[in-house]
Formats: sequence, C-alpha cells, structure tokens
Amino acid sequence: MTTTAITDQGAAAGTRAGAHTGSAPPARRFRRGPGTGGGPAGDRTPRWQIYLPLGLYLLFTLVPFYWMLLFAVRPAGSTSLVPWPATAAHFDKVWNDLGFAVFFRNSLLVGVASLLMTTAVALAGGYALARFRFRGRNGFMLALLCSQFIPGALMLVPLFEIFRELALVNSLWSVVIAETVFQLPLSLILISGFIRNVPAELEEAAWVDGCGRFRAFCAVVLPLLRPGLIAVGSFAFVHSWNHFLFALMFLSSQEKYTIPVGLNYTIGAESVDLGALAAGGVVAAVPVVIVFAFIQKWLIAGFSAGAVKG
Amino acid sequence: MTTAHRSRRPEPRPRRAIRPAAAVALTAVLALTASACGNSGDAAGGEGDGKGTVEFWDNNGGVRTPVWKKIIAAFEKKHPDIDVKYVPVPITEVQSKYDTAIAGGGLPDVGGVKTADLANMVAQGALEPVGDRIEDGPLKGRLSPGMVASVRAAGGEGDEMFSVPTSANQSVLWYRTDLFEKAGLDAPDDWETFYEAAEKLTDAGDNKFGFTLRGGAGSVAQALDMMYAQSGVGTFWKGGKTTVNAPENVEALEKYAGLYKKATPAADLNNDFTKMVAQFGSGDIGMLLHNLGSYPDHVKAFGKDRIAGIPLPPSADGAPRTIPSNPVDGLGLFRSSDNKAAAWKFIAFAASHEMNSLWNEEAGAIPARTDAAGDAWVEDAAPVKAAMESLNDPETKIVQLPYELPDWNHISKAGTEPDFQKLLLGEMTAQEFADKLAGLLNEARAEWNEQREK
Repeated sequence: MTTTAITDQGAAAGTRAGAHTGSAPPARRFRRGPGTGGGPAGDRTPRWQIYLPLGLYLLFTLVPFYWMLLFAVRPAGSTSLVPWPATAAHFDKVWNDLGFAVFFRNSLLVGVASLLMTTAVALAGGYALARFRFRGRNGFMLALLCSQFIPGALMLVPLFEIFRELALVNSLWSVVIAETVFQLPLSLILISGFIRNVPAELEEAAWVDGCGRFRAFCAVVLPLLRPGLIAVGSFAFVHSWNHFLFALMFLSSQEKYTIPVGLNYTIGAESVDLGALAAGGVVAAVPVVIVFAFIQKWLIAGFSAGAVKG
Repeated sequence: MTTAHRSRRPEPRPRRAIRPAAAVALTAVLALTASACGNSGDAAGGEGDGKGTVEFWDNNGGVRTPVWKKIIAAFEKKHPDIDVKYVPVPITEVQSKYDTAIAGGGLPDVGGVKTADLANMVAQGALEPVGDRIEDGPLKGRLSPGMVASVRAAGGEGDEMFSVPTSANQSVLWYRTDLFEKAGLDAPDDWETFYEAAEKLTDAGDNKFGFTLRGGAGSVAQALDMMYAQSGVGTFWKGGKTTVNAPENVEALEKYAGLYKKATPAADLNNDFTKMVAQFGSGDIGMLLHNLGSYPDHVKAFGKDRIAGIPLPPSADGAPRTIPSNPVDGLGLFRSSDNKAAAWKFIAFAASHEMNSLWNEEAGAIPARTDAAGDAWVEDAAPVKAAMESLNDPETKIVQLPYELPDWNHISKAGTEPDFQKLLLGEMTAQEFADKLAGLLNEARAEWNEQREK
C-alpha cells in the first residue's frame, strides 16, 4: 500500500514534470501483481517462497515459547502435548515460594533506572560527539567500539572492588551503574548517529530566535530523536532485565536479587523443576514482550532512519 | 555540505578547561581502583565473640532454600544472640561467585562447598582448616569415614579437612520394574544382566530403549563410574600414573560406549543430566545411571512401584563393589570471617544428627552423620539405604577421583567431553580416548606436584 502510494505520487510528479518540460518521460509505475510479494512489476515471487521461510522461522521461534507455556501450565508429571488441564501451581510456586514477586520488583527497578541513566548519559555524550569537534574524538569512538569486545565477566573483579569501596555491594545501584556503563558505548554510538542526522541549521535557527543551547536542544533536537531514544532505551531496559551475571555477583541478599537469578533457583545440582522454570520464564518474558509490542514501530523507524542516513 | 555544516557547528570547548578535569577524573579513578585492592579472600579474620551475624552462602540455592530456612530458624531459636544471613546462590554459578569474592573480597562466614570445588578454594587460601574444631567438639567420630576421606583427599593438604561433610551423592542404576517384569528380566545387579536387559528392552522402531546414557555435559564422570565399577580397579593412581587407561578400564569403556544407538536413543549424544532424566521420565526406557538426586523426579514420573534404584553392580560375582567417589557436599568456614566462633556454632548445629538427617531427607541424599543410618526415613527410602550401605561397607573400594587437581574440573568436562562424543560416534577408539584422558591427568598431576614442591 505504502509502495503504491509513493510511486503513484512519483508518477504524477513525473507526468507533471513531463508536461511542463515536454521532454522528461513519466516515472516508472510499479504495481502489485497477483501472487507477488508486492515488488516491482515482473518480480513475481510466488507466495510460498515468502510464506514458507517465514513459516519455518516462526516454527523455530514459537515452538520454544509453546514449550515454555505448556510446561508452565501443565501439571507436574503430565506428558500431555496440549496445555490442558491447566494449573496455576507453577506460577504460584515461583511467585510466592521462590520469591519472584520480589525479584520482579527488583528487575523492574533496575531496568527502569538503567534505561533512564543510559538514555540521559548517552544523550549528553552523543550530543558532544555529534556536534563538537575535539582532539581524540575519533579515538574515543574507536575505544567505544573496542569496549564492545570486552566480556562483562572480565570486569567482574575490578568492578566488585570499586563497588565495595563505594559501599555499593549488595545495593541495586551497583547493578544499575554496571548495566549503564556496559550499555553506554553502543548507546552513545547510536544516539550520536541520530543527532548527526538532525541538521545543525535547525538548532542555529532556534539560537537566532533567542534560545540557549540547552533550550534549543530540548525544543528542536529532542523531539526528532524519539525513534533513537526508544531504540536506546528499550535496549537498555531489555538488557538489564535479562542480565544475570552482575545481579548475582554484586548482590548478596535474596531480597535484592533479580529475575534471572531467580530463574536459576529452579535448576538444582541434580534435578530441575521444569514447571517452575517454565513459569518463571513466562513471568520474565511478559514485560519484554509488552515493551516490544508497544515500541516496535518506533524501533523499526529508528533502525531504518539510521540505515538510510548513516 | 558536510564540511559546510561542520564549519557552522558550535566551537569545541577550550582544551585547557578539559585537561584539568580529565586529570582529576583519571586520578580519582586510579586512586579508587588502587585503594580497592586488598582484603582478598585469604585475609585472616578473627574468632569474634560468638554472637552477632553469620553470613551463610547456600551453594544449591533455590532448591534447598526451604530446608535451610527450617535449619536456620531452629538455630536462631537455640542461639538467640546469633542471626544467620542466608544467601541462596544458584548451583550453576556458585564457583564464579566464590571466585569473585575471593579475588575482590566479600566472602561470607560460612558457605556450602563441594569436594569438586574444594581444591580451588584451598589453593587460594580461602578456607579455614576445621580438623581441630571437629576433633574438639561433638562431631568427633560421628562423620562417615568415607566422606571424611573424600574431603581430606580433595583438600590436597594431607589429613587436614577444609570442610565439614554433610552429605554425599552416589551414582545409582535406576530401572523400571514394570518393564523388567514385562520382559521377564531379573534386577540388573550384575553386569551380564545389565547388558542383556539393555539389549532386550530395546526396540528402536517402537521408540523403546534399554538404557539412556549421558553424552553431553557430565558424560566423562558417568563414563568413569561405569569403567571402574565394571573393571574393579580400586585406585585412581598407581605408581604416580592414572589407571584410567588400564586395560580393564578400556575394555569396560568399550562395552559401555558400545551401547550408544544399539540400546540407547541417538539423541543421547547431547544429553546432559536434565535431558537424560527428562527423557527417562517421559519415554519407554529401561535403565538410567544417575545419582540419588533424581529420585523425586522418577517417583513423580512413575510412582514408587514402577521404579527401583540399586548401586552399580560389583565387577564380578562375590567381588566387592568399586565406587568412584562422588562429590561430597559440606560446609566451609572462611578464613576471612571476623566471627568464626559464631560461624562454627552454626556449622556444628547444621551437622548435628537431627539437622543433618532433616537436610538429607529433603535432599534425598546420603547423610554424613553415621548415627542417621537408622533413621526412619532412611529405612523407607530404599535407594538411599542401599547407596548408604554400599558406601559405608568396609569391603567397598572407593576410587578417590582427583578433585584436588586444580585442572580436574576442566579435564573431566570441557577438556574431554567432546572426545567422548567422538568415541560414541566411532570417530575415536576407547583406547585413544582413555590414553588422551590419562595423558592430561598425568600432566596435571605432575604440574600440581611441582607447584606443591615449590
């Protein structure tokens, strides 16, 4: 639909131009052919070539989810392949006995705080990288890229020592700070790219109208960064939500643990409570699914904006 | 256009203003990092006044949390001046958590420590010797000699003990009594019956198998159980070299690996214990080798009447059983603890007859307390009773696996598990596998001896 609308406008413009100049040919009109994927004329891709790979992809993606749901609601000991009769016993166990109510709250706190801190710092740093030229900027960008190759596990001991000196061990802040630090390189690179795509002239126009730099940034640049902010924020939230290592290492109290640590409680040395593990997995997956359901169109817009404009 | 934009963009901040700020920030970070060094896991700590807070890390958190909470509640009732801060650590990452705390500080007063992890922690000086405390208190003479021997061997410091054993696990040959009865087979209490049953219960076309083996994570430990139990070789080292590639062990390994796909599902190639137990619980499979820990899963899947568990058969009729040592779980007192007196009270309480029995009943494991052998729940749990009797039988030959070698975990897992899969697939012979494993072990032992001599 979108393609047709755009090309029709193009064709109309071409016609108008041709009428005006009397020489330019009309723009090529694309059309949807029957049984095509909506590509240019002549590109008659059979539907099965689109739906079969998509179907296979969905199979591989959704079967594990089905498995998780099945085990989560199936009574212990059942071998049924359909989730009926259903039971809420596993959810009751993880939520009340294993303490997922507390873990969920902690994960939410860590996720939201990491999101806010990462986005705020990435905005400031990204603006500096995009708008200012200073010695070492390229080197700094390179260092940011290189930092992506350092596994978090390698930094555990130094980070642990620093947090201990700051009396932050066994505080959710230690996890928030560590998550923010590890999210920042990618977030900075992404945000600086988005800011670079906003013409500097817009800011300059705001300055001419009497705005200071901060107000011009807030009034002019920030609204245009919505896709970028959503992309960076969602990455920060989801990464913090799923991350296991920092929460386990920097926290030493059951009341402070987050959901990924709680999930591991269902795995014992000699046995695994698959029902509880699956129910915990559902509890862990729901917020992420909801987040992506709401932000997906902004996320895709953000990615395509970055892809086209570089 | 880009150049034009750049030329109109805001001017950079003067460098002079940046330099001092950067220098201050850098100095602060370096100072912070430098000051953070120290107070590592081998700090001396102190006895304390026997009161206050004791921090305890449970090395199988989640699964064992309910029983530990009961024990802690009972302890705090008996010792109202001591609070136990309970930290459940998931078993999958407990070693990493200890390692980080040893390197960075923040170790607890008491922690669950298995013999498989003991050598690493002793080598880093993290654990306090507890031999004297055991001798001077109510635990003296009350702990299973087999488990005490395992703890001593795993610590690698002669007769010194670095943990109080609380529990042991043991490999059990689980079998489906209903399938055996239907096929007219006797219990697999000798190796001939075992292999015969594995073959007779297999009908691959109908998705029925006589046995399921562990081809993925943990495969080598299980293979060692099968090798030594069949061969009857009673020691892991002989003349400074490992017996892993002794001809009797190679022959046993060949027979065991030969079961793959003949009497087992092809998917066994990637089985870790989770998949293996789940597969046994949901299919028509006659036998499984796994430890006591999966007993509740089997009962859940089949009911008590359709499942039985026996120790691995002796190598020959009338011969004593040969059992490779399974990891012994225990409680370690950390050297860095500032409150060792209170921490020891907690350890002694948790290892008392009543509490040790309670813990092992919930875990379905073998209690370390010898006086728990006659407890009612042991009498009712036939597999536990049989395992306990075989473990405590003076005739039983216990092959002490080299947990004391720092490289043991690597060698027996990532170092050789891919080769075991090659063996199952016929890309490697049993002799080649055993020789490679033996080579790695001999090398690791030589290195360990060299380090100790220094």
